[in-house]
Amino acid sequence: MRAWNLMANRRWLYLASVGIVLASVAGMAVQPALGRPVLNWGVDFTGGTLLTLRFRDRSVSTGQVRAALQPLGLGEAVIQKVQETQDISVRTRHLEPEERRKVEQALRDRVGPFEVLSVDDVGPKIGRELRNIAILGVAVGLALQVVYVSLRFRSVRFALAADVALLHDLLLVLGVFAVTRATVDSSFVAVLLTVVGYSINDTIVVFDRVRENLQLRGREPFPDLVNRSVLEALVRSINTALTTLLAIGSVYLFGGPTVRDFALGLTVAVLTGGWSSVGVASPLLVDLTAWAERRAGRAAPQPTAQPARLSAASRRTRS
Amino acid sequence: MKSHTLRVLVLLALAVASFQVVFQPVRLDGWRPAWQPPQPRLRLGLDLQGGTRIVLEAERRPGVEVTPDKVDAAMRVIENRIDALGVAEPLLQRQGQDRILVEFPGLQDPQRAKELIGRTALLEFVDTDDQSLPRGAEWLADNRRVRMPDGQIVNLPKKVVVTGADLREARAEFDQQSLQWLVRFRFAGEGARKFEEHTGRSIGEYLTIVLDNRVLSSPVIRARIPGEGVIEGSFTAEEARDLAILLRGGALPVPVRPVEERTVGPTLGRDSIERSLRAGWIAAVAVVLFVTAYYRLPGFLASLSLALYGLLLLALFSLLGATLTLPGIAGVILSFGMAVDGNVIIFEKLKEELRAGKTLRAAVAAGWRRGLVTILDSNVTTLIGAAVLLWLGTGPIRGFAVTLSLGVLASMFTAIVVTRWLVELCADLGLQDRLVRVADLPRRGEVAA
Repeated sequence: MRAWNLMANRRWLYLASVGIVLASVAGMAVQPALGRPVLNWGVDFTGGTLLTLRFRDRSVSTGQVRAALQPLGLGEAVIQKVQETQDISVRTRHLEPEERRKVEQALRDRVGPFEVLSVDDVGPKIGRELRNIAILGVAVGLALQVVYVSLRFRSVRFALAADVALLHDLLLVLGVFAVTRATVDSSFVAVLLTVVGYSINDTIVVFDRVRENLQLRGREPFPDLVNRSVLEALVRSINTALTTLLAIGSVYLFGGPTVRDFALGLTVAVLTGGWSSVGVASPLLVDLTAWAERRAGRAAPQPTAQPARLSAASRRTRS
Repeated sequence: MKSHTLRVLVLLALAVASFQVVFQPVRLDGWRPAWQPPQPRLRLGLDLQGGTRIVLEAERRPGVEVTPDKVDAAMRVIENRIDALGVAEPLLQRQGQDRILVEFPGLQDPQRAKELIGRTALLEFVDTDDQSLPRGAEWLADNRRVRMPDGQIVNLPKKVVVTGADLREARAEFDQQSLQWLVRFRFAGEGARKFEEHTGRSIGEYLTIVLDNRVLSSPVIRARIPGEGVIEGSFTAEEARDLAILLRGGALPVPVRPVEERTVGPTLGRDSIERSLRAGWIAAVAVVLFVTAYYRLPGFLASLSLALYGLLLLALFSLLGATLTLPGIAGVILSFGMAVDGNVIIFEKLKEELRAGKTLRAAVAAGWRRGLVTILDSNVTTLIGAAVLLWLGTGPIRGFAVTLSLGVLASMFTAIVVTRWLVELCADLGLQDRLVRVADLPRRGEVAA
């Protein structure tokens, strides 16, 4: 395993990462061409009413439901059947209480008896607020973590590399949700923040290795030192990802349809968080350090905020 | 050895206390403890036990100022109405400046509750001179024109004699003569005086009874009425009861409207509990098997400390009165996966130290010392994320953030303290060889314990 030199071949890592990002962006970009929005926004974001019904007669089809609702003039209603449980979901614009009673009445009269499993009724204002919360949350979370990482590693480079890796992860999650048409609802905000947390967490474990090795073997060329650190942290990264995936995977498989999209998001978060530490953050750290050294070499020597041992190690990289 | 005894006692005490907090197998009746079947005592969210959650927002209209005081007053009115409905354990909370959160666990008819709590319920007795208005006619917002049920608009200024604010009493009654449900009311104080005065002066004219700008009935005044009367309006029994509840509770000082409603039926809730329990068990077993298979004896010890982690976490929920929701359970399971991380990080460092030729004791000390830094840094970043969610999020997001952050804290404790105690205990119990095997050393004889 020691023979692997990932950092010397880091162009392949970049290639793979750029490929992932391009695939995600493409996955999102083709959605409008297929006649649907980029993401499958749920009522939490768009506002609207979502009814999940369990008809006594499980064989009731979406066609029957659509026919029963036709005369009510609800505009564009999306009617779907949940494969696993045979439940029917009806999604419409935001309904007033009176309209909803009419809907239930019409279904009872024209289709058959049913039980209301769940109702989600969200006004348009709430949706806008949630969107703001999501954006603000990710932005604030990111900013705080940059500050923390910069403080703990006494270098903005580590934080910068970790953040680019994080952006890569966020794009991938968005791409997966765009392609799989998984519902983007309020739990998606939690998924995004989990991506933020897990991705940085994993990167830090690798960078922590780099920090340790800088103290132990400052003489080693920086790319080799990063490579060593990545490989040393690899077993841990894989094992942690595996155990976390065992946990989330069981939620995905056995948790039922209500949490499936959520579990999917968390699964992608763990996979990409593990990958990007190796494939994005580490090579970037190597190149950022080399670039900073080149600049420092060209300009007059200047004091830097980083600890002496880091600059010493980096200077040796140049030779 | 003495310190080991103490440590084992501490761990056992923690386990027993947590178990008691969560499952309460022993109930204390005064001083006599009694056994009862252990059952998890956790507060379940509406998405697990079924129920309705409604967020009302005070409406800003010209002329009506929305202040926190008014919203609080509205909350009290709504509370009265809910009490009258007889819902078990409702929850009312002001959210921000102008919102009220109402939660009903396990409500049969959320639609009715929603209409009842959202109604402004402003009752007005209007002097309409010689004009009788049909039921359902409605005053427009300018209070000068009335839209008749047939859509025709009539000019008729709203001359309010008295409002429901002075009502002392209101109850639904079945009238034996007309065989109809009606609401009997009684005024008090100033309202009673005005009512009596007006009815005395305007005999033969119409006094129209208006609820939220909509005409209920328009009776003719036959005699001077001393502050009490009935409202007719061809009500059903339920309508009459609801109207009485509304009138008794008073009008809302600001109009509110629902901006969000979520209802989870009992079937779905039960389903979710069963499924998440199953998912949790499977996750736990899979993780324990993996860790033990990969890290041998230390892995098994880590599993023990994970079991304690689970108990501690549940006890924390119980003690803090945290509500367990579906996303919350996902947070627990995610943090369980990550709890293993602390152990994995330390074991990997332990292996390195052993491979570097250190003795077991020295390797344990070094492994934990180095692991601590990594665990702290990696977990603090997760906590930062969770804290942001806690700060911004509501409802489901909050639930996830609470369980995730408690989980991270508990996992740090178990990995840093509990696993280490267990490993050191085994080392002193003569299991060094088995512990050292984690490092997969080519020649075991090299390592002196």
